[in-house]
Amino acid sequence: MNMFLRLSILVTLAFSAPLFATEHPAAQQGGAKVSYFRQVRPILQRHCQGCHQPASKQAGLLLTSYEGFASGGKSGPSYLTGQPDQSLVLAYLKGDRQPRMPLGSESLPDEQIDLFRRWIAEGASDDTPEAARDKLVAGKAASYSVAPLITALAYSPDGALLAVSGYREVIIHRADGSGLVARLLGVSDRVQSLAFSPDGQLLIAAGGTPARFGEVQIWDALSHAMKRSVMVSSDTVFGASFSPDGTRLAVGCADNTVRIFEVGTGKELLKLAHHDNWVFGTAFSLDGKRLVSVGRDRALKLTEASTGAFLENLNTLRAELNSVARHPRRNWVSVGGEDRVPYLYTMDRPRALRVGEESTLIRQFERQDGSILALAFRPDGRRLAVGGTGAEVRIYDSDTGRKVCSLAGHDGSVYAVVFHPKMELVATGAFDGTLRVFESETGKLVRSFVPVPLEKSAVSMK
Amino acid sequence: MVGFSLAIFFFLMLAQPGFEAFANDIRHRTQNREIVSAKTTASARTQAARNTGRGAQLALKVQPSKLVLAGPMDMRRLLVSAQLADGSQVDVSRSATLTALDDRIRIDADGFVSGLKEGESRIRIDERGAQVEVPVTVLPAASSKVSFVRDVMPIVNKAGCTSGTCHGAAKGKNGFKLSLRGYDPQFDYEMFVHDVSGRRINRVDPSHSLMLAKPTMQVPHGGGLRFDLDSRYYGTLLNWISQGTPYGDPVAAQVKRIEVLPGEILMPRPGLVQQMQVTAHYGDGSSRDVTREASYTSSVPTVAEVSQDGHLKTLRRGEAALLVRYEGRFLPVAITVLEGRPGFRWTQLPQHNYIDRHADAKLRKVEILPSEIAGDAEFLRRVYLDLIGIPPTPQEARAFLTEPGEPRLKRSRWIDKLMARPEFVDHWTVKWGDLLQNTRKFVGDKGVWQYREWIRKSLAENKPHDQWVREVLTAQGSTFENPAANFFRIARNPKVAMETTTQVFLGIRMVCAQCHDHPFEQWTQNQYFQMAAFFSAIGVKEGADSQEEIVYLKRNEEERDIKHPKSGNVVAAKYLFGDNTKEASQEGDRRDRLVRWLTSKNNPYFAKAVANRIWSYFFGRGIIDPVDDIRAGNPPSNEPLLAALTKDFTDHNFDLQHLIRTIVNSRTYQLTYRTNEWNRADEINFSHALPRRLPAETLFDAISVATGSVLKFKEVPLNFRAQQFPDPTVGMGGFLDLFGRPQRDSACECERRSDVSLSQALNLINGATVSDAIADPEGRIAQWVIAKLPDKKLVEELYLAALSRAPESNEYELGLNYLAQSPNRAERAQDLMWALLNSNAFLFNR
Repeated sequence: MNMFLRLSILVTLAFSAPLFATEHPAAQQGGAKVSYFRQVRPILQRHCQGCHQPASKQAGLLLTSYEGFASGGKSGPSYLTGQPDQSLVLAYLKGDRQPRMPLGSESLPDEQIDLFRRWIAEGASDDTPEAARDKLVAGKAASYSVAPLITALAYSPDGALLAVSGYREVIIHRADGSGLVARLLGVSDRVQSLAFSPDGQLLIAAGGTPARFGEVQIWDALSHAMKRSVMVSSDTVFGASFSPDGTRLAVGCADNTVRIFEVGTGKELLKLAHHDNWVFGTAFSLDGKRLVSVGRDRALKLTEASTGAFLENLNTLRAELNSVARHPRRNWVSVGGEDRVPYLYTMDRPRALRVGEESTLIRQFERQDGSILALAFRPDGRRLAVGGTGAEVRIYDSDTGRKVCSLAGHDGSVYAVVFHPKMELVATGAFDGTLRVFESETGKLVRSFVPVPLEKSAVSMK
Repeated sequence: MVGFSLAIFFFLMLAQPGFEAFANDIRHRTQNREIVSAKTTASARTQAARNTGRGAQLALKVQPSKLVLAGPMDMRRLLVSAQLADGSQVDVSRSATLTALDDRIRIDADGFVSGLKEGESRIRIDERGAQVEVPVTVLPAASSKVSFVRDVMPIVNKAGCTSGTCHGAAKGKNGFKLSLRGYDPQFDYEMFVHDVSGRRINRVDPSHSLMLAKPTMQVPHGGGLRFDLDSRYYGTLLNWISQGTPYGDPVAAQVKRIEVLPGEILMPRPGLVQQMQVTAHYGDGSSRDVTREASYTSSVPTVAEVSQDGHLKTLRRGEAALLVRYEGRFLPVAITVLEGRPGFRWTQLPQHNYIDRHADAKLRKVEILPSEIAGDAEFLRRVYLDLIGIPPTPQEARAFLTEPGEPRLKRSRWIDKLMARPEFVDHWTVKWGDLLQNTRKFVGDKGVWQYREWIRKSLAENKPHDQWVREVLTAQGSTFENPAANFFRIARNPKVAMETTTQVFLGIRMVCAQCHDHPFEQWTQNQYFQMAAFFSAIGVKEGADSQEEIVYLKRNEEERDIKHPKSGNVVAAKYLFGDNTKEASQEGDRRDRLVRWLTSKNNPYFAKAVANRIWSYFFGRGIIDPVDDIRAGNPPSNEPLLAALTKDFTDHNFDLQHLIRTIVNSRTYQLTYRTNEWNRADEINFSHALPRRLPAETLFDAISVATGSVLKFKEVPLNFRAQQFPDPTVGMGGFLDLFGRPQRDSACECERRSDVSLSQALNLINGATVSDAIADPEGRIAQWVIAKLPDKKLVEELYLAALSRAPESNEYELGLNYLAQSPNRAERAQDLMWALLNSNAFLFNR
């Protein structure tokens, strides 16, 4: 008895932390004024600004700032202060004016529409605290005093271009290092993954703003115009991948789902809810009929890509998985994560599934010095590059597991690794904000640079 | 009802930790840095007289007497107390008005002072007309760099992010995991800065960082609003991100110790308040006022409650400990709340030895009057039960009660006689058998007898405690040849061996630290594995006999070491404290060095742990209680007493019998359980004996002594008493287990239950154990009836046998009347015995 009493006393003493409110105080107080900053703006960000942003500017309307919302678009101001019933925004949201907004998706819940009504009735003021104001005006390129960390990289299929993640933008460099080609400005703070379509016509930038919205940007890779922005879930999306024919793309989400979109229309084809935790990576099979995905639930899941039917877990659950890469010529995938070991699996299980058996495992590579964050195959599939918190990127012979070389020099985690499609080069992007290009067989550094234009006074961040 | 009241009784007992700090290595008594204002003017005094309800105010005292601030980041507060005309002091830190006398300093609404410009400045403090000035020196800032370890982690911890119910949970919360209470800053840094490709930091536009947006609820946050955009915490975090998220120098930024003012709180009455002040001292020699970031826990919130900014309010008379925690450092502050006790007068009882001097000092301080010394009969039964685990026979009781002589000397003589009896060894073998977990489940049928015999021999020889521990912890070879080696059959892996060693021999519970740093103590996960590494080379293999095992040192280098679960690296053996800056040599048998360190007279825990444990066997609670949970938040109720006991035990070379003899000879042990007006509520200061339900084996044997009935168990020789049983497999599932005999599954003292339950009561009333014993045809009652003992004599014998005392006159009367009502004397006598065995006087040792 002593022990239990003692425990109960301990528990009472130690864990008597205040109970946390699950809603913001303002939301609980019925009488409080509706806040633009905390209540209206998040709805605009999540549901509206995909189309009404500088890169697309549908109907001439910009919903990326208070000022843009107030001044409105081609049809006039979004609202008349104090007169919600005369305000365009409510007419569009309620469907009194067509097309009903948000376009192509379900109507907003009544409570949310009511927030707009009350906010306008109460004077439609901007209560954004000074500390939280955007430094960056949407549509204007960031000026960098520090190099942002590099979270995504992609070579164009012809090897001419290298797309690099920036802050609210994608920066296109010439792959030979001879200069910057274009800056593709979007509304997402973060670009988590980049992918060129197989024909090189399109560039996908998937990301979002943490805890606000996820976004898949579809750019014309030649004209640098945004073709479409698809807002997805309420957090950033990860691990975008094209189907081999370039008609579909898959992303992993923080709501534990995998979404498959039709590239041409931006339409969501499937929403797969097979994972129990955030999904960080996706890859289609060679024929595009199956899809693998990995995430924090430690699972490498195999799904039928046309129906979304779950087929099986290909792996034994060991540790959280951060990255997946498909072999360019076979239905093999490499996965890696928190246990620091890169694994190579086949998508075609050689024997019937039995409990505790891992007949799909082809090989495991040597343990890395840190968690694995990035994996990439050379176009012929014979080399596997592994990057992560260990900072040193290692290249392996994927047929034997032998280490070919190490790529040293980054300070801090390596988030992105890509092979050049034609040459024996590998590009890496890291926490330190530098982009490095190495010879992929020798590990020799070819060049290293900060891919964003830095202000003169700026220093490279370590 | 009994069960219920007992539950309450234990609740009170446990819920009242004591008083003084215990751990010398973490205790840093505050220096008295006070000044007394001489500025109080006559008019101020009149003013004060008007304002104060409880006597005019004379002077203000300020701690510290001067402030030195290193730049604008160095914010400090002052403690202000007012001395009233009646001599009492009250804390006025919160009500006093602080005024900056120039623009070199700024004083925030919460009383924190920060320096704006270098130079000398002054603060004026006004409280109810009295005034005092404090000089302030503003130095240039040492550094404006924000450091993760020094600046960010305390905020994250204080804001609750790392708590066990939030991101500190084993699985984190909503995809974001931090170490529990921030014990692993390196891990937390990774999570904030690097995890999920650095999503929580926005390097380009720091104010848009997720780690700022979440706690300020700019985005949905399950944990709610933790701080506001205009708060100091927000400013610090924003600065840190703007400066490029530097980790900082982990050595310089490490908190070496904390200092808490006041170091002890003694309040003359409930209702008074006290502002605390906490200073952290860092590895680089700098210090910082961390009153706002420290965490506070009151051990008895009904005595004193404390707010999370360190403002303490006393609520009722009693004792409590305030545990202050900051960045893995802990410091307890003793709280004593008195109240006017009109009519209280200290009456000095005789003091037999140093125990009584220390007990009395504490009792006088908290105004508790100890009970009278127990009468001979009460003493006799208690000392029999405590020393030899069985009550006196009627013959022995009669002999003691009628023996002439000075009572104290007589008791002392009998104590020596009892300690020389074989039952003394039997009784203490049970206790050590519990702690060493001697059961055939672990060591086999033969092993259990061998191990028991080894314990018996050690006790009979009065082997010094250190030697005894050394023999156990360094044992190797065949368990047949060296039964002490059974220790490693029971604690079969290094982690268990370490946990058992620290809990049994040091009173320290390390088990929490296996997965994360101890949340209520300074012990870290690293230390857990460093200590386990002392045992990692021990192997156990089968011997020649199927019941024999061999404890040996592993030769294979690869198998000799233990690895840290996080890093996967080999952990070198290192002492838990004291000489822990050096790694112990990893060569040879590491246990030799562990034991040398463990049993050293300088080890502050070793002697204390056993002295406290032995004490608890005689008083029903330790001076630190629970006895095997010694830590900052669980201080002793009487530190000088425990220190003296520890010193005496150490000075006598860990002589257990000397310790026991000293305790039972003390007047404090010999007090009656009957309380007086002043000590009725006391459960922690040993002002009276605490009635304790008899332990299972003692109860069983006491029934046997009272009834003269010998109970038979097939697993042991005839005439074996319950306390001679080798392990709990004897009579398993029966009476003994019902009354809380431990199964010896753990080394925790708590495994032996001392509760009272309905099923126990029903068993005593109705069960076979008592009824068979009473009706035993070879038992006392049968013999008395056959011998045709006269009624009066029969009643007397019944009382002597059951309660070790003669009946009082009304008891005679009741007994005689009852016997007279029926011709069946045997049945009547059995009824009387049954009633006595079901009385509290029998069931409790008091």
